[in-house]
Amino acid sequence: MTFVFRMVGRELRASWRRLGFFFVCVAVGVGAIVALRSVIQSVGVAMTSETRALTAADILIESGQPWSKEALALIETALVAEPDVTRTASIQTATMARPADLTKTVAKVVELRGVEAAFPFYGHFVLQDDVAYRHDLLAGGGALVRPELLVQLDLQVGDDIVIGEGTFEIRGVILREPGGQLGAFSFGPRVLVDHEDLLATGLLGFGTRAERQLLLRVPDARIDPLVRALRDPLRDEFVSIRSYRRTEDRIAANLRRAENYLSLIGFIVLILGGIGVWSVTRVFVQQRIRSVAILKCLGATGGQVLAIYVTQVAVLAVGGSVLGVAMAGGVMAAIPTAVADQAAAAAGLADLSYGLTVSAVTQGLVVGIVVSLLFALGPLLEMRAIKPLALLRWGLLPAGARDWTQIGVAILLAGGLLMVASWQASSWEAGLWVCGGFAAVAGVLHAVGQGLIRVIQPLGVGSRFAFRHAVLNLVRPGNQTRVILLAVGLGSFFIIGIHAVQANLVNAFALEIGDNPPDMFLIDIQQDQADGVGALLSAQTGRAPNLLPVLRARVTGVVGENTTLETVREIRRRGMGREYTVTYRGALEDNERVVDGAFWDDTPSDQAEVSVEESVRSRLGLELGDTIRFDVLGREVAATVSSVRTVDWDDTRSGGFMFLFRPGVLEQAPHSFIAFVRGPEGADARARLQRDLVAGFPNVSVIDGLEVIATIRRILDSVTLAITIVGGIALLSGVLILVGSVAMTKYQRQYDTAIFKTLGATSRTIMVMLVVEYGTLGVVAGLVGSVGALGLTWGLTRFLLEINWDPAPWINVSGLVLTALVVGTVGVVSSLDVLRKKPLSTLQAE
Amino acid sequence: MLALRWRVAGTVALCATLVGCGADEPFERPSASTAPPVEIAATDRGPLIVALGDSLTAGLGLDADQAYPALLHRRLRDEGYDFTVVNAGVSGDTSAAALRRAEWALDGDVCIVIVALGGNDGLRGLPADQMKQNLSEIVSMARARGIAVLLAGMEAPPNYGSTYTTQFRQVFVDLAQEFDVAFMPFLLVGVAADPALNQPDGIHPNLDGALIVAARVREALEPLLPALAVEAP
Repeated sequence: MTFVFRMVGRELRASWRRLGFFFVCVAVGVGAIVALRSVIQSVGVAMTSETRALTAADILIESGQPWSKEALALIETALVAEPDVTRTASIQTATMARPADLTKTVAKVVELRGVEAAFPFYGHFVLQDDVAYRHDLLAGGGALVRPELLVQLDLQVGDDIVIGEGTFEIRGVILREPGGQLGAFSFGPRVLVDHEDLLATGLLGFGTRAERQLLLRVPDARIDPLVRALRDPLRDEFVSIRSYRRTEDRIAANLRRAENYLSLIGFIVLILGGIGVWSVTRVFVQQRIRSVAILKCLGATGGQVLAIYVTQVAVLAVGGSVLGVAMAGGVMAAIPTAVADQAAAAAGLADLSYGLTVSAVTQGLVVGIVVSLLFALGPLLEMRAIKPLALLRWGLLPAGARDWTQIGVAILLAGGLLMVASWQASSWEAGLWVCGGFAAVAGVLHAVGQGLIRVIQPLGVGSRFAFRHAVLNLVRPGNQTRVILLAVGLGSFFIIGIHAVQANLVNAFALEIGDNPPDMFLIDIQQDQADGVGALLSAQTGRAPNLLPVLRARVTGVVGENTTLETVREIRRRGMGREYTVTYRGALEDNERVVDGAFWDDTPSDQAEVSVEESVRSRLGLELGDTIRFDVLGREVAATVSSVRTVDWDDTRSGGFMFLFRPGVLEQAPHSFIAFVRGPEGADARARLQRDLVAGFPNVSVIDGLEVIATIRRILDSVTLAITIVGGIALLSGVLILVGSVAMTKYQRQYDTAIFKTLGATSRTIMVMLVVEYGTLGVVAGLVGSVGALGLTWGLTRFLLEINWDPAPWINVSGLVLTALVVGTVGVVSSLDVLRKKPLSTLQAE
Repeated sequence: MLALRWRVAGTVALCATLVGCGADEPFERPSASTAPPVEIAATDRGPLIVALGDSLTAGLGLDADQAYPALLHRRLRDEGYDFTVVNAGVSGDTSAAALRRAEWALDGDVCIVIVALGGNDGLRGLPADQMKQNLSEIVSMARARGIAVLLAGMEAPPNYGSTYTTQFRQVFVDLAQEFDVAFMPFLLVGVAADPALNQPDGIHPNLDGALIVAARVREALEPLLPALAVEAP
């Protein structure tokens, strides 16, 4: 044992410069893991608090009807077992509010909510004039209202309003509220009162439409078990139970996507680091072949040799990991200053802190050491097979004989990766995708390496010296073709993959909001009101609104080349029996693409023509030129199918329609319009617009989505920022690792280089040789990597993130070019010192 | 879409729901004039009874032949009447929207119109006087065409407060008196707010509920039928 330690000490002293690379490689890998996990965890914490603020509770139990005795009893039973649960009740209902001042006769629909003193468990109210929210503002007949209500009813803070049998004093103005539930759009502004006072309004009689809520604050670990404990017995009651995590809101889905993506990146960076460590270890092992052979000559056993090198790797891994943690600390400290402006602009996740978390540090250290050892074990095991004979045979590793231990290690490695992948991405699917991609690309790279050697072998007799030797370098025994291909190919695969997924994800988030999203939504605009509403909107928003005509229609028959459907029953059997909302217009929207046939030009036609969505075509078995019979408000309209469209349902800012008609026919049918409008800035201007609309067109209802959109935007912007930071770190560290593993190969080069120089080769010749050799490897590896990345992006977007896959060829192409450039440059640059040095010194050092 | 309170996520999804692109409504509306129930050939359509209404008439959530107009049609046929009941219900329609399409709906050999509106006006808390104006225009239009009218009343949900619900209820009573038309005070009498007779949304009747509505409407039609039966050959 002492022999082993003594040897470790000697070796480390003797080759610290080479080992330094190994050391840095581990450090970069671990540093990236720790920094990323820290960012990811802080983002996670911040996202959790934002998500919680959406519901204002951990668990929300809701009922559209008064609580039944049975339901209450069941809830009590479930809660008895949970001593640490705090709860509060809330009721929400649409109702009429009118000024108490009888000279003002207008009444206005409001969304009334009654809350108790404990509300909200999470999130904060923002009130006008920086008034701090406290329940006293509500107790004893107080009300907090949205600014719109004040404008619409011409009221001020301090005035009284009448709701049902109750009179309330307006004591403040709500600018932002927690627990507002993004999903629930309402026709009126919020009025918040005390729970008891709401009960006393007498509004909650038989037949009332009100939503009763029970909000629970639950220790983290008990949330999911409690949801399950509640759901099962309450199955038969009309009660919905959900935790803040499981909200079906789109925003929560997006947060989950971001979380998945972030943890996946953490894992991929881990693999990248591992690849770096692996290729560096390989080079390191090759370098030590002669020493090992000498040791063996002197009687060292295979086990002793292995122990010496495994200990070396372990020492370096620990040191590298510690350095990595220190580096991560530095990076984290730099982030806030680098992105402070953006973060401020995005009004970032309020409590996003950029610091190292203890768990990230621990995880990074453990993972760094374990992964280094795992990845290094493969090449190190080869050492056992080194025979003393290697001294005479130019230090080549013995080939042939299958080594079961190595295969075992490979399997262990694959299994370990799969476990870590699934754990990190918290999904087997993601783990499988990443590991499957890893294995597939590694296999392809291996095969391509073999192929490349075979294909270019004949070129090794060319007439140009540099070119010939470059080829020979790639194909001769003991070449590094496969090692570099594998390292660079896998590296570029993951880096390009991550980047493309990130682009897709950010794109999806941007689509969700858009640059100038409509934030007011008008429904039920009648034909004779369209001009008036349009004029009013133009005047007050400064933009001509886009009024979408909408009609209800049903398919009653199909007369086509392949399909003839006569009865409603046949249509229903095809799943097309419901009533569809249809529209007509002369041009395509941004979210539509014609995939078959030709879209009409922008002229009306009195021959009905319809463009159907792709899914309709397949359901009804349509061909272009077929006729679909529609029932439009009781009249038959037979329309020819002239084109087939696909609609991007994730981007329905301008609506999405299964059936789109050519202008000219449906105009005659009575129909109404809806409008998506970007309302004016400022609460007062918006309130005035709503007031004027309702005054002029009482049947038109306005849904104001400003606050919802602002919340969504705030969250998505912060998440996008976090993703971009994380992606940036991942990219940087990935490139660093690649650079390290390529640069490391120079040690194999330097002896040859010295010989060439001795024989009279100029630096120029040698550089050309290096450019050709590394350039070829870079192009091939980049090609395989970027093609693989295309597959990885497809799989991850589709199955893990469930967003649209938008192939971004420029990412893959530029990835390929950059990979080739980086590998070529690094190959040459890292050998520059050898070129400069006198050949003799190199030869002596060897 | 009588229920105008979308529990949807995000604006985009809202738009999607509203413009009807999602499969959110398992909607089967009984055929209107173009595709009458199977047992009637196009030739013996007979005089028309048009049910002008919203999703309660359209039969939101029910199969094609389960909405009350289809059930009423079958009932009348069983009794030997030669009427064809046309479902002119459009989900989401307010009285204002229905007024705009009344002319379209009342085209043809219409002898009776069932005016069953107001549900969406009530759910959205629209001004009662506005609804009265719209409904009286619809009734006047029918009258001018010599079409007999059955006015079906509606209730506003109690959460809007008694001031509003009383006003709302009174609109139908007043109109029935002013125009002296056949009148049933509440379309969903005996059905509303009974979980056993409604779909889980608590608004739209299920098949059992629709059967009761059809029976009540049939009773309310009684005063209009004999006169017509004489006219019918």
